[in-house]
Amino acid sequence: MPSKSDHELVPVHEIMSDKDVKELFKTFNITIDNLPKIFESDVQAKKLEAKPGQVLKIYRREGKREYPYYRAVIDG
Amino acid sequence: MMMQTEVIENIKFGILSPETARSISVVKLSVPDTYNEDGYPIEGGLLDQKMGVIDPGLLCKTCGARAKSCPGHFGRIELVRPAIHSEFSKVIYMILQSTCRNCHRLLLNDEHIAEYRNVLAKLEEDSVDIVESSGEEEAVAMGSAAMLKKLKNMKKCERCGTLKGKLKFSAPTYFYVDDYKLKPDEIRDLLAKISNDDLQVLGIDARASRPEWLIISVLLVPPVNVRPSITLESGERSEDDLTHKLVDIMRINLRLEQNLNAGAPQIIIDDLWELLQYHITTYFNNETASIPPARHRSGRALKTLAQRLKGKEGRFRYNLSGKRVNYSARTVISVDPNVDLDEVGVPFAIASKLTVPFYVTAWNIEKARELLTRSEYPMVTNVISKDGKRKRVIDLNREELIKELAVGDILERQLMDGDITLFNRQPSLHRVSIMSHKAKVLSGKTFRMNYCVTAPYNADFDGDEMNLHVPQNLEAQAEAKYLMSPQYQIFSPRDGDAIITNNEDGITGMYLLTKDDNYLTKEQAVYILSIAGVYELPKANKNGLYSGKEVFSALIPEGMNFSCRSGGAPFVIKNGRLVEGVVTKDTYGRGNNKLLVKLGKDYGYDRLKKFLFVSSKVADAYVTLMGVTVGVKEYTTSKKLEDERVRLLQETFVKINKLIDDYKARKLEPLLGYTLRESLERMIIAELNLVRDRAGETLLKYESSENSAVEMARSGSRGSILNIEQMTMFLGQQATLSGGRIRRGYYTNRVLPHIVPGDIRPGARGFVATCYYSGLAPTDLFMHAVGSRGSEVYKALLTARSGYLYRRLSNALQDYSVDSDFSVRDANNNMAQVVYGGDMVNPIYTQFMDLEEEEEKG
Repeated sequence: MPSKSDHELVPVHEIMSDKDVKELFKTFNITIDNLPKIFESDVQAKKLEAKPGQVLKIYRREGKREYPYYRAVIDG
Repeated sequence: MMMQTEVIENIKFGILSPETARSISVVKLSVPDTYNEDGYPIEGGLLDQKMGVIDPGLLCKTCGARAKSCPGHFGRIELVRPAIHSEFSKVIYMILQSTCRNCHRLLLNDEHIAEYRNVLAKLEEDSVDIVESSGEEEAVAMGSAAMLKKLKNMKKCERCGTLKGKLKFSAPTYFYVDDYKLKPDEIRDLLAKISNDDLQVLGIDARASRPEWLIISVLLVPPVNVRPSITLESGERSEDDLTHKLVDIMRINLRLEQNLNAGAPQIIIDDLWELLQYHITTYFNNETASIPPARHRSGRALKTLAQRLKGKEGRFRYNLSGKRVNYSARTVISVDPNVDLDEVGVPFAIASKLTVPFYVTAWNIEKARELLTRSEYPMVTNVISKDGKRKRVIDLNREELIKELAVGDILERQLMDGDITLFNRQPSLHRVSIMSHKAKVLSGKTFRMNYCVTAPYNADFDGDEMNLHVPQNLEAQAEAKYLMSPQYQIFSPRDGDAIITNNEDGITGMYLLTKDDNYLTKEQAVYILSIAGVYELPKANKNGLYSGKEVFSALIPEGMNFSCRSGGAPFVIKNGRLVEGVVTKDTYGRGNNKLLVKLGKDYGYDRLKKFLFVSSKVADAYVTLMGVTVGVKEYTTSKKLEDERVRLLQETFVKINKLIDDYKARKLEPLLGYTLRESLERMIIAELNLVRDRAGETLLKYESSENSAVEMARSGSRGSILNIEQMTMFLGQQATLSGGRIRRGYYTNRVLPHIVPGDIRPGARGFVATCYYSGLAPTDLFMHAVGSRGSEVYKALLTARSGYLYRRLSNALQDYSVDSDFSVRDANNNMAQVVYGGDMVNPIYTQFMDLEEEEEKG
């Protein structure tokens, strides 16, 4: 059965490497607490088996435009 | 400067104990009166000078300070019999319900108590994880609410087995057990015997508030400066409402004491006791439910403690949240087309009261002296010297102040032409509700504004008032000038549409001016152009007349090239000349307006502002010259139009009758997804909509351009073809909120008794075939009223609901801002978007971008 997350409207999610995360925090001068959150139990986080403390990079699309979005994985 | 480093971490509110009341009070009051015969405060009376003084010159007997610096001190009244604090009677009732009157413990046994403690602890723990701190108390409250409910319904003490009996509470202060009335002192004794541990289970921190303190035995009397007495012109003293109330309390307290000492019968004691309770209840809150409010001699209800704090005019909303602003003014607004978009006409009376700081420097000290010398407008009203001392300039000290004037001083100068001010109309729903305008001092008593800026403020001139603020330092002035000026706000941050535009008569004027084949005489052209500040006449045609399009061309930038659609026809500007098209709301009014976008994009906001200002004056002058008016003449129909109307309606009715017949014969082809009956209904509605549209077309065909109403509808300045149609032809279908035809009324399936039951022809279901001009039949009027009432109610509900929704949304988003790296963050540096909107596009410029794209395409 096709999964919900395969739908074309669901943007691509990926777990960021620790190095990339560090760089992200540095460029934006933030800590993990300042990022938008995503539950560990979220369909996408589950699929990637992301653990709390990790950061997901989401490739959002709006028409032709594409831009990254970041979410910190949290408990729950 | 030394900084205060302590930080308040939390504040805890508790109940005042009698001991605390005694220890913080400085005097025990014993005389229920204020002044003696000599007009001197009685010692032990309600204005005892130990509680502070209010008359200037007198010294406080406690701290020795004068009225201004004495903070005031509390006194106390020792009540001979306690009274219940009525504001807490619900709490008292809760505690009485939850405890045993025999063993004075909670009704639950230890096991159950432990159980509940566990539940509470668990809730407390869980809530910490989910939400940071604040949710904790909420969760606990939820847990204890369930327990309290259980306690309330228990009949018997789990410990000693004593029956609870029927406990009754009657507002505001009466408690009964099995019809025996509990006296305040009995309740106090019951409450006093409950242990601290049991209270904790009930959610009461006994260290801060023992329940027996809810019964008042020592009444704290606020200092005199909280309830000052005022001396009337007649020399008579008038006391504050609180003082009056306290006199009442003391008087009854004294009488009760005398009766007790004299061994009066119980019934008299009880009566007095109850009276004391009444006075104390009303002292705290004179609007306590189910008891009559205490009144002044004049019959006015007294304003006691709760009334001072409560509501719109209370201490919180009126004094604390609602502080008044200095350097501001408020008055009625009115129009003046000669006031520029970024100006505001300020009445002279206001301009001479408001001041602007003038910073004295080595380079302008001469100018400063000159200003200071003046004794009439514009003059200096105050001098603030370097050490921050403020001196009022009066004729007597002017010479001296001029001599003392030094670099670094600040002069407060009266408001003058060109000063930056902020102009605001409430409700301030969006950023353009406050804009900066340059002051322009005028005679008269109202603020004058250009009508092009009415739209952002949502202002009209039927008595609206607006506020004016004067920024008090150079930074604020600069920010206001360069960020908040109307010319920078012309395009809406919502979608980039122009919100500051000309409107109504302005559009009509421009439309009439630029209409095809409109020519002005030389006199007219000169007059119109002189208003625009143009002193060169365009080329005349062979008859020596000037085309309106040429006049309009004089207002737009030289060499401009532009084209769009206006009023359904092309609108072309070539090389700075309007060669084709008419100015309508599409090119000139609010909304998707390409002409203004073009001007703003290619020529700048200042040029655009100039265009709006100048062209609005021109349009005004022209519409005045032409004299556009609307009268009955606009709504009389020609024979031809009347015939057309009858024909149109006839055709439609025939078609609909056919539909109905088909339906009855089951020959009607149903629409996809609808039942036969629904299909019929939709088809009828479609026919009726069609006839409405066709009537509009006919109207445009038959009405000449002589008709002002039609001209206004064509130019888009005011009114629509539909409006005229309703006045000259027929009103059309009156719809209900759900969009369907009117059908509710009698159970026999008819709207009115004049209609045959089951009739579904247009007239029976709210189609009005008459117009305002011909007059409505009573049944038609009724149908019309049904529709009007529906839309009126809907409008009222919608504005209230959507207004609040918008307020919540804008309040929730107010801290978000776009950072220098184009990320969106809130005040705590929390990231909302990495890139603003995903593309860094500022909506204000979207129309610019669209136009650019269009132009590139060609």
